Amino acid sequence: MTTLVRAGRVSFLVRRRAVTVSLVLLALLAVALLFALCLGKPYVAPGDVLRSLSGAGTPYDVVVQRLRLPRAVLAVAVGVLFGVAGALIQSVARNSLASPDIIGITQGAGLAATIALTSGAAAAVIAPSALAGGLLAAAAVLALGARHGLAAKRFVLAGVAVAIALRALTEIVMLTAEPIDGQRAHIWLVGTLAGRGWTETGWLTATLVVLLPVLFWAGWALRTSAFDDDTARGLGTRPVARRVGLAAAGVLLAAMVTAQVGAVDFVALVAPQVARRLVRAERPPLVAAALTGALLVVLADLVGRLLFAPTQLPAGVVTAAIGGPYLLFLLVRRKP
Amino acid sequence: MRRRLVLLAGAALLVLAVLASLAVGSNPLTPAQVWHALLADDGGTAASIVWDLRVPRTLLGLVVGAALAAAGVLLQALTRNPLAEPRILGISAGASLGVVVAITLFGIGSLAGYVWFGILGALGAGLLVFGVAARARDGASPVTLALVGAALDASLGAVTAGLLSADTRTFEEFRFWVVGGLTGRDSAVAVQVLPFLLVGLVLAAVVARGLDSLALGDDVARGLGTRVGLTRIGGGAAAVLLTGAGVAAAGPIAFVGLAVPHVARYLVGTDQRWVLAVSVLLGPALLLAADTIGRVVALPGEVSAGIITALIGAPLLAILVNRAKVVSA
Repeated sequence: MTTLVRAGRVSFLVRRRAVTVSLVLLALLAVALLFALCLGKPYVAPGDVLRSLSGAGTPYDVVVQRLRLPRAVLAVAVGVLFGVAGALIQSVARNSLASPDIIGITQGAGLAATIALTSGAAAAVIAPSALAGGLLAAAAVLALGARHGLAAKRFVLAGVAVAIALRALTEIVMLTAEPIDGQRAHIWLVGTLAGRGWTETGWLTATLVVLLPVLFWAGWALRTSAFDDDTARGLGTRPVARRVGLAAAGVLLAAMVTAQVGAVDFVALVAPQVARRLVRAERPPLVAAALTGALLVVLADLVGRLLFAPTQLPAGVVTAAIGGPYLLFLLVRRKP
Repeated sequence: MRRRLVLLAGAALLVLAVLASLAVGSNPLTPAQVWHALLADDGGTAASIVWDLRVPRTLLGLVVGAALAAAGVLLQALTRNPLAEPRILGISAGASLGVVVAITLFGIGSLAGYVWFGILGALGAGLLVFGVAARARDGASPVTLALVGAALDASLGAVTAGLLSADTRTFEEFRFWVVGGLTGRDSAVAVQVLPFLLVGLVLAAVVARGLDSLALGDDVARGLGTRVGLTRIGGGAAAVLLTGAGVAAAGPIAFVGLAVPHVARYLVGTDQRWVLAVSVLLGPALLLAADTIGRVVALPGEVSAGIITALIGAPLLAILVNRAKVVSA
């Protein structure tokens, strides 16, 4: 089931099933990306897409390279960050429902970013303020709901309450803003990838690269956080500090995505859970969750683009339509 | 005696809320001006503000507030769940979806037409949320039921948003309706919804005694001579009717149905008839107060009443969730 991999002094265990699943997901993601580049109006044949990407120069260069490619790549980045963020926070809370978009963290980031956007702050301020908002929201949820433990459904429902309040505040901020700022904030808030591309992808990739060491640490730290605190302490780790670190990384990722593209709801909830079921692990696996998230967002954006064409449905609407029933399924299933 | 006093105080509060709703706004009037304009529609500025702008939304607030509060009382009694509320259980979202389907897919533009779709949507969502919760491992738990409702609310809301954004013509008009508020409806709307409110309230009053004995458990209720099945169906039908009509008129306004029954129960005890009576007074008072606050917090803009009630209600939800009673209930 697991294989020991040694590379010099470093050694780690790899679940074979996780590797297989990740490879399959990667292949599916490639196919989905090809679809995303081909479909739409005008339709571009797969051969032309590949030729255009290789720089051969085709009549479709503008459509493929300027319009569809940036958006598809952004979808991948959004999905990866949300997937990892959800996996981290769900693992720390040991609660499959405690994902950042359910318990108010993305809504906190959204509120802070809306305030920054509508008060005419510089673009560089938006990301840090979203981050601060996400952290504040996380603190608020912990203060309100942690009394009964993070694993309880009460914690989730307290988070739902925080999310509702934050969304209402966001609406007020948008309504009080100058009309043009309010319009900008509204477009930003619905969680669409339309009209976005390399700039946003750049920010998200930078976040991912900066956090990569943290994520490697997280992948390792998550193994021991499966134990109860006493056992973990007995093994010589500091469970509380570790959990705070993991959760902070998750909040950071979720806030960064929200700052860039708005609320693409339910990806952080669904992707880690689907990945966990595919890998048959007890905790959401990070890599598979990232790939599942990417696949989900690419497909959601594609569906939103095509379903009511020429009108574009925001990807966030599609993911919510998929994610809601999945949340119901999580609540209904017989086994925990 | 105490209950009568509460009822009287509730009525006084409602009158105050109505007065405030008529007087306060971007163009404030004194109570004397309001009074004068109400008595004599002389065509002056004050009279036209009162009659054209503020009377319609005040009437709508009265009807919708009463409907949502009564629906909350019924749902909390039927589910024996302190967290039950039309919005939290996803029933409002079902009603919204029904209304939006009627408008975008069937081209029905009048309230008299789409209110039926709202009621149908509320019914569908209600059956769905209870069906799903019944299949859950701990479906009887209030928190599970509320989470199932929240999931339903999110997914139905997404479908509603999708339908709306696919139809740019209706989008601008109904973007504000989806948030829930009293603005921009003409006075005919309140009158058209009124029959549904009355039928719903009468039905609620009829089953109120049955709901009292239902609180003791099905077996005891049967022993007391209550027809349990009939009470459930009657109460459920009233809740669906009230929610569907209220949402069709003003959008899915959240938390009126959560907050008001709790306050009423705190004031008059658990007798459902009294809770219902007090809620029917306090519901409109809360909604009108929210609407009035929304007019002045963001001048020159306006904040929908639904946003204000969400801000008031969300902390209350968090408090209720944390109370120990929620789990044992």
